[in-house]
Amino acid sequence: MLKINNLHVEVAGKEIIKGLSLEIKAGETHAIMGLNGAGKSTLANTIAGRDDYEVTAGSIEFEGKYLMELEPHERVAAGLFLGFQYPVEIPGVSNLNFMRTALNSVRKQHGEEDMSAAEFMKLIREKAKMLGMDPDMLKRFVNVGFSGGEKKRNEMVQMAVLNPKLAVLDETDSGLDIDALKTVADGINVQRRDDTAVLLITHYQRLLSYVQPDFVHVMIDGKIVKSGGKELALELEEKGYADVA
Amino acid sequence: MYDELTKSYQAQSDSLLGIVPGTDGIRTQALADFLSKGFPTKKTEDWRYSDLKALTASAFEMAGSDADPEVPAALSETAARFVFVNGRYRESLSDMGELWQAASVRPLVNHFTASEDRAGELVRGQDAIGLLNTALLRDGMVISVPTGVEIDDPVEIIHIMTGADAQAAHTRHLIELGEAAKLHIVERFIGDGSSYWTNSVLQARITEGGKLAHTRLQEEGANAVHTAKAHITVGAEGSYQACNLSLGGKIARFEAHVRLLSEECVAYVDGVALASTGQSHDTLTHVSHTQPHTNSDQIFRTVADARGKTSFQGKVTVDKDAQKVEADQSFKALVMDRTAEANAKPELEIFADDVKCSHGATVGELDAKAIFYLTSRGIDPVTARQMLVSAFTAEALERVENDSVRAEMTERVDAWMAKRADV
Ligand SMILES: Nc1ncnc2c1ncn2[C@@H]1O[C@H](COP(=O)(O)OP(=O)(O)O)[C@@H](O)[C@H]1O
Ligand SMILES: [Mg+2]
Repeated sequence: MLKINNLHVEVAGKEIIKGLSLEIKAGETHAIMGLNGAGKSTLANTIAGRDDYEVTAGSIEFEGKYLMELEPHERVAAGLFLGFQYPVEIPGVSNLNFMRTALNSVRKQHGEEDMSAAEFMKLIREKAKMLGMDPDMLKRFVNVGFSGGEKKRNEMVQMAVLNPKLAVLDETDSGLDIDALKTVADGINVQRRDDTAVLLITHYQRLLSYVQPDFVHVMIDGKIVKSGGKELALELEEKGYADVA
Repeated sequence: MYDELTKSYQAQSDSLLGIVPGTDGIRTQALADFLSKGFPTKKTEDWRYSDLKALTASAFEMAGSDADPEVPAALSETAARFVFVNGRYRESLSDMGELWQAASVRPLVNHFTASEDRAGELVRGQDAIGLLNTALLRDGMVISVPTGVEIDDPVEIIHIMTGADAQAAHTRHLIELGEAAKLHIVERFIGDGSSYWTNSVLQARITEGGKLAHTRLQEEGANAVHTAKAHITVGAEGSYQACNLSLGGKIARFEAHVRLLSEECVAYVDGVALASTGQSHDTLTHVSHTQPHTNSDQIFRTVADARGKTSFQGKVTVDKDAQKVEADQSFKALVMDRTAEANAKPELEIFADDVKCSHGATVGELDAKAIFYLTSRGIDPVTARQMLVSAFTAEALERVENDSVRAEMTERVDAWMAKRADV
């Protein structure tokens, strides 16, 4: 599904991703772990198509397409979703309007009709309920005045509505209390199917006890230095990054 | 200095003597003032951001026309629609509705016949633009809403300019609200590609408890110069709520002069200006608090595209005895390109000590992070920008109470963004 080959990425003239390769197949859940500054968010944002992140070498293939040839919104239509580490506040745009425009934009790119307002309301209410989001928050401006945890839940509602093939979730667990973490984990687990894949980015082991990954990768200084099964996460927790790598 | 020009305006003004009974005196005075003052220059503080070359190069002849232009559809249900073609009231295109049953409505020409004193109500004007409007006024609407009468649906005044190269229309509307009366005036300005000048003044007297909403939709033709002034006085517990959407013209300027004359009255003066390439949109507001417990709030949002320009000068004055005044002002400009320009100059003159005044002015670009966030959810970049601009301007349109008028304004903001993406 996703094939990253020898990826190099520069941000503001500085190389952050320094030759990273990774393959994710349908039905798999992967976790990338690494300390702050390792380049995890840079990788996630590059996959999503942030235009100030420059790919200087290597490639990212997604479902047989070269991602670098697609604009961010086209990547979403192809089935990609990025859950942001720091979701953006958008004053003046309601959450409902945002999600409905997003869903209909993807449908349009697939040559489908807009979803009716009634059908959309039913869908969004159902997803908000599943992820424990207060329905009143749907009417509020996107992420404005949301707590850290509420923002992360909002990301998960967006993911559920868009139903992507590959979800890249950047530190979705940070800022969540234990109850919220369980709800969010349930939301992620619903998204794990034979025809989908999930890439979790985290620097804690915590989330991984609720969403058990098939593979764990350790990232240091822009590269994956070690890969293994889910036991690698526990080993990291015990011994620290320095020893494991 | 402008010999030809002043001769022409003198002749035009003279030709109007006796035409609008009662106005000869003030017309002559205004012309004399204009002749001695001349046009403002860039050194005139109130005109520092305005380029008046289009007006000072040569005189604009008096417009007038028999053309039968198409009248645009109403923005909402209306109580009446008054159409002016090239500055002249056109009864055949207007629709009196039922307004005449509830209020007194008549064209300006007949207004002063009864008594010359009424001409004293006319604001003479301070600068060349205002003075010329008085010296050359020819037509307008006079609407007077009696005590306690509330007109719910908007009254549209539609100014249409057509085939008017080097011609000008100087309209003057007079609005009067009796105690606790209510009225919503929607002024619309449209025109063809000719290089005309619209110079319009609306003056309103809002007496105790009166509520006037004044919405302006400025969609002049691409080569037009648009100058307009609102002169408003508000009495006790009265309110004036203005919103100006400035879209058209090559050079456009709107001034709102609001005097809060008695306790517990309020002024909301808002506006949105969208400057496309080569356009200049100016706004000047002067809200004057002369009495205690008077409030004002102003929200302006402007967007300027490549080589477009928006300017805002907002003056608030609070007199010495006007305690417990609250006056707020917020101006935000978006520049969509490095060659776009946005100017802001808030000005507070406060002589009372117990007042709460705030003002903020910011100029910025669309938030790249927000665009990425929207596009990372599947929204194309054009729609993403449109959503952000729509959100940015919404605050300044919010106080337009009539849902359908407000929706039409919002649609025009979206259409502006959509058109911009096409080029
Ligand atoms: N927009 C940016 N401009 C400059 N440097 C950046 C930018 N984004 C990230 N970096 C730098 O890239 C490195 C990796 O950051 P990041 O990808 O956020 O790491 P992680 O998510 O693993 O904590 C850090 O040194 C950070 O300072
Ligand atoms: Mg990060």
